[in-house]
Amino acid sequence: MTRRQPAGPVWPRPGRSALEELVARTGDTDALTRLRQARTGQVPLTDTTERAAFAAANAPLAAVYGTATYYTDLSTPTAPRHVRVCAGTACFIASGGRHIAQVEQALGVRVGQSSDDGEVSLQEVHCLGFCYGGPAALDGDEPAAGADLADQLTGCTPRRAPEIPAWAVTHSAVLRGLAGEPAWQVWPRLLGRPGAVERVRAEVAESGLRGRGGAGFPAARKWEAVAAAAGPRYVVANGDEGDPGSYADRLLMERTPERVLEGLALAGLACGAEQGFVYVRSEYPQAYRSMCEAVQRARTAGHLGRAVHGSPVAFDVEVVAGGGSYVAGEETSLLRSMSGLRGTVRPRPPYPSEYGLFGRPTAVNNVETLAAVPAVVADGGAVYARLGRAETGTLVVCLNERFSWPGAYEVELGTPLRDIVYRLGGGLAGGRELRALQVGGPLGGFLGPDQLDVPLLASALDDAGAALGHGGVIAVDDSVSAEALLAHLWRFYAQESCGMCTPCREGTRRGRTDPAASSTDDALLDLMGAASLCPFGRSIPRAVRSLLRVLGGSGP
Amino acid sequence: MRVTVDDRVVEVPAGATVLQAIRAAGAVVPTLCHDDRLSPSGSCRLCLARLTGRGVVAACVTPAADGQVVSTGDPDVTAMARQVLELTVERLPRRALDLPTELVDRCAELGVGPDGFAEAGRGLGADDSHPYVHLDRDLCIACGRCVRMCDDVQGAFALTLAGRGADTVVAPGAGSWAQSACVSCGGCVDTCPTGAITQAGLAATQAPVTAVNTTCGYCGVGCALTVHVSDGRVAEITPDRDGSVNRGHACVKGRFAYGFAASPDRLTTPLIRSGQRLEPATWDQALAVIADRLHGVVERHGPDAVAAISSARATNEENYLMQKLMRTVIGTNNVDNCSRICHAPSAVGLTAAFGLAGGTNPADDIELADCILLAGANPTEAHPVVGARILQQVLSGARLVVVDPRRTALAGYADVHLSGRPGSNVAVFNGLARIMLEEGWVDDVFLSERADGLEELREQLRWFTPERVEQVSAVPAGALRKAARLYGTASAPSIIYGLGVTEHAHGTDGVRTLANLAILRGAVGTAYGGGVNPLRGQNNVQGASDMGALPDLLPGYQRIDDPRARQRCEQVWGHRMPLRPGLRIPQMFDAAIDGRVRALWVFGENIAQTDPDSGHVRAALAACEFVICQEIFLTDTARLADVVLPGASFLEKDGTFVNFDRRFQRVRPALDPPGQARTDFDILRSVAAALGADLGCATPAATLAECARVAPLFAGISHTRLEREGHLHWPCRSTDGPGEARLYQQGFATPNGRAQLAARPWLPPGEQPDAAFPYVLITGRRLVHYNAGTMTRRTPNLALQPRESVDIHPDDAAALGLRDGDDVEISSRRGSITAAAHLTAEVSPGQVFLAFHFPQVAVNLLTSAEVDAVTSCPEYKVTAVRLCRT
Repeated sequence: MTRRQPAGPVWPRPGRSALEELVARTGDTDALTRLRQARTGQVPLTDTTERAAFAAANAPLAAVYGTATYYTDLSTPTAPRHVRVCAGTACFIASGGRHIAQVEQALGVRVGQSSDDGEVSLQEVHCLGFCYGGPAALDGDEPAAGADLADQLTGCTPRRAPEIPAWAVTHSAVLRGLAGEPAWQVWPRLLGRPGAVERVRAEVAESGLRGRGGAGFPAARKWEAVAAAAGPRYVVANGDEGDPGSYADRLLMERTPERVLEGLALAGLACGAEQGFVYVRSEYPQAYRSMCEAVQRARTAGHLGRAVHGSPVAFDVEVVAGGGSYVAGEETSLLRSMSGLRGTVRPRPPYPSEYGLFGRPTAVNNVETLAAVPAVVADGGAVYARLGRAETGTLVVCLNERFSWPGAYEVELGTPLRDIVYRLGGGLAGGRELRALQVGGPLGGFLGPDQLDVPLLASALDDAGAALGHGGVIAVDDSVSAEALLAHLWRFYAQESCGMCTPCREGTRRGRTDPAASSTDDALLDLMGAASLCPFGRSIPRAVRSLLRVLGGSGP
Repeated sequence: MRVTVDDRVVEVPAGATVLQAIRAAGAVVPTLCHDDRLSPSGSCRLCLARLTGRGVVAACVTPAADGQVVSTGDPDVTAMARQVLELTVERLPRRALDLPTELVDRCAELGVGPDGFAEAGRGLGADDSHPYVHLDRDLCIACGRCVRMCDDVQGAFALTLAGRGADTVVAPGAGSWAQSACVSCGGCVDTCPTGAITQAGLAATQAPVTAVNTTCGYCGVGCALTVHVSDGRVAEITPDRDGSVNRGHACVKGRFAYGFAASPDRLTTPLIRSGQRLEPATWDQALAVIADRLHGVVERHGPDAVAAISSARATNEENYLMQKLMRTVIGTNNVDNCSRICHAPSAVGLTAAFGLAGGTNPADDIELADCILLAGANPTEAHPVVGARILQQVLSGARLVVVDPRRTALAGYADVHLSGRPGSNVAVFNGLARIMLEEGWVDDVFLSERADGLEELREQLRWFTPERVEQVSAVPAGALRKAARLYGTASAPSIIYGLGVTEHAHGTDGVRTLANLAILRGAVGTAYGGGVNPLRGQNNVQGASDMGALPDLLPGYQRIDDPRARQRCEQVWGHRMPLRPGLRIPQMFDAAIDGRVRALWVFGENIAQTDPDSGHVRAALAACEFVICQEIFLTDTARLADVVLPGASFLEKDGTFVNFDRRFQRVRPALDPPGQARTDFDILRSVAAALGADLGCATPAATLAECARVAPLFAGISHTRLEREGHLHWPCRSTDGPGEARLYQQGFATPNGRAQLAARPWLPPGEQPDAAFPYVLITGRRLVHYNAGTMTRRTPNLALQPRESVDIHPDDAAALGLRDGDDVEISSRRGSITAAAHLTAEVSPGQVFLAFHFPQVAVNLLTSAEVDAVTSCPEYKVTAVRLCRT
């Protein structure tokens, strides 16, 4: 019999949410999907509480309402034919900001509404990952992309949805699967051996692998923290690739899902977790299907389950779909989203490594980070550690359709931007003039053509007024004005701000209302940068200021 | 940790935030989304401070660290805070400044004027569907405090933030507030910093408002409340944030249901019977009649022909005076209080098991428990603040075993719900004990060193195999085993129970066999056990007994035949006392009908509605020559009295209450009694004076001081100390010693200092269903009303529940052809009443449930005269009835 002298109660306990504890009792990660399925007809889910409640019976009615009004997928009316048109930056530039109006006209329905006959509904989403060939839309779950997007949607021209062009420029760690190297090579061999856990931890630690979602936190240290906390523990692959301009995770999840899963399994082993999750944003339906199928195949092949490959290790994976929220890529938001709650950000600490999914220690790693893990373990950490100049490793950079050769390229960190723009991207297509380069997504920043000597490094980009982010590289030419681009960005910020903290919630509202004035309101921008709760609000000033600096605030 | 704040070094505990360090240093940063009752959310971003080496942070969500250097009030940081506030208010309508709110204070402090507000709001509209809560969406700043109160403190989960980004606004779900899961605790009203959520109908007053801190007069939780008084009326009641039990929380009764105090039908003058009528009279006339009639009865029939029912609603001081008056002025021990009909089995059972007549552990131990066994209690409705604390602890991971025939709200959260037949408690508890012994889930060291009776118990438990227990109780053997494992293997298990354990024909056995579990587990009297804790039903039912308003016990539970106790009392009181124990409440009624009791004094109890077998009670009242009723309203009991004395409500009183965990707390007068009504303290002294006696005890403080002299358990308790220390637990044996919150850490208070296991057989309930009366009626309470409903029915609580309906399982309803809302006649072997049917699976098939809050549904016409064999506590929880569609 154990006797424990109880510690004095800490009240209220920091970071505690009774609602999160309540939904944790069921361990339900399917609520958003059920809510999405309940969403049929012209009325947004928010007005049909009964059905919503039925779909998410595990949460209180008010919480279901809170969720249903938070996620764009759930708060937008949905007709039998539901079209999601991309309002991401690459598509915006590709069409000169015109494609959404064209689609509205072609379909006879306004964004956020259903057609009068109730047959078609249109939703604006922030990036479908077709930045290399936009503008793009999803008709149901079927993609269409190209300059003639509106005509494709009306059937006037044939549907096109080109595959992601992808190359590994360097010794590949992440995109190795694309070269035909099969996954699940490391995991089965490792499991039977003594010291497997230690080996994974040691190789990843030696490799210096850092989070590729943007934050750049060393993966091994995160795992160490999770492993040190009391179980049960979880590992989560963050496939909420929200940054308009990046499509590396879509590439990985669609084309090499096994590698992502194997990386997740190895992370689970290192963390002592028996359950993994892959959170896939709803804008990537093909990636979701592909991950689900890969999980099924892995179970069939015995890579997942109880006593995997005869070892004492148990590990299984669930694939969870998002609901339409950029901020869900932030880990606390992502974990709340997984449990069917509003995807607002909460302060850290407590960090997910201590208090994560369902209040349990959780390692959240980006898909790209995890996709590198099998190679790191297979080759040994030292091999990976040699990649990169000044900072360790590789990054999959994604070039938009303005380039001559758009696509995803795995490059070593430290590669000069000039090489990426000209050697890989072939410069801008059609002889267009490069006016600016957006690096690191909407929360990164803009660099001028005179800044191409900056190397692809977190530190150097930070100094130059951009960010490494998730490797999105968008060339800006003269198709859009600086004002239009600024308005586009503020609109994105305002639509995607979770609303949790005042500077971001109200600052983005002001920015959307008056982009020009807000972009030069130093007090407002300083406040957002210093006092916002999460990196979303804190990064906006850099992006806005760099845009003004590079594009001068007046376009052609 | 040492933190430097503005050049001042402060020591803060591990886990503290920068905000706490700032406050500890006496510095100030503005806050809006912060509330000490809630875990910080870091949402408003007003509490900005500069950390050397880190920059500007929101202090509320930034952990303090050793060596940290914090500066507040840097001009640039203050400018940022001001801008945050400007952003916060720029869409708010200017009328936000008309309310006394935190937001208005922050605006004044940071210099944000009316020009910073919008002319009009966003037009989001209001919600005035609820009688107590008003929502003005335009004033919402999305700080989420209301949602956190609702979720993290109350656990109602009725609110959410809705929308995203700048559209975020609070919502009670998709429908109106009235349709929501709101339980009207008022937590959102209390925390809202902007006036978006306010108490409905609260008039802005120009008159000065005084705030009086007191203790709630409803249930036995003992919530500390602040009564805001303006112009001689209650303007508002708010929970006292320093309240030691409620910690800034309250329920729909304590917070909102005060309207009764100003009800136009309050008794404001004494009434004297004249034939069929009660006529207004002066105090002199009423007291003269009382003196004359009581003297007459005593002269003709002796002092034991007078009996008094003291009031569990009244203060300790008043109860002390009542028993002193009966014992010294009348000369009888015929004084009892309504704990007789609720927790007398607890007093007797816990005394026998452990030594003292109270729960063993403080409410604070709820948050230490990793397993709670909740038996026969529905605290979510009857003790809402404790119910909320239990729920929060369970959400945070404590295991929960619920023993209750009904599927209560907490049963819905339970790991195991043992839903047995009413009257099967002893079998279930013995079954649990047997499994724990068999499995070794017991504390052998504790049992050998600190407990007696193990072998006798083992012998008794031989019969109680899980299978036999299942036959008797209908609790599945598997569930019983699971429950035994959860309780038996927890590190810090706690037992909390209610009237579902005591109000049975073998209620005392129920308490003893429940206490057995804690003894077996070593979970009482130890640092790691949560003990055995009865939830007391009324604000001062613990205190009424503590004060000796009992026929066989003097103040402080001293036996009437204990020579030393008698000597102590007689010395202080200057009177000899009768030696013979007096009558218990049910015996008083029998004696009245027999002619042995001729005069009955009913103080603050509506026995004609609340006591079982009302027909019998009314007959007893009719049989008495003389009935005094001391009341605040003309209740059914008062209507039958010969003299009615207008007393005072708890809002008008000075004194103390003792709550369910033996906590003395101050009661302070916020109002004057209406009209000629007097405090019951004054009334008791006046009656004594009319009888030619001086009770001494000129003030409530002097009364408690005298009680401290006669009762060693309370020797250290005084008004002076309570003013200084807030609350004191008894036992408190010396003026310099703290009270004992957690009992028996050194030894039990039994004669040999050891806990006593009890070997008790299971015996069937006194009342049994049969073919003619096939259903079992269970009685109890509902959330928004209280006992006879005398108070709550005179408040807007009536709008929340306008009438009583009978809970029937849908299967039974189908068999009877009943639809929801149909009137159904409920008949027992004693009487018959009619109520609308409410179909719910909260009750099991074969059982129905009714509360006794409405005289129109006089459920105690049905209940039986069966009582607990040991204590005469009525068997309220088992009445055989038949149902008939009308």
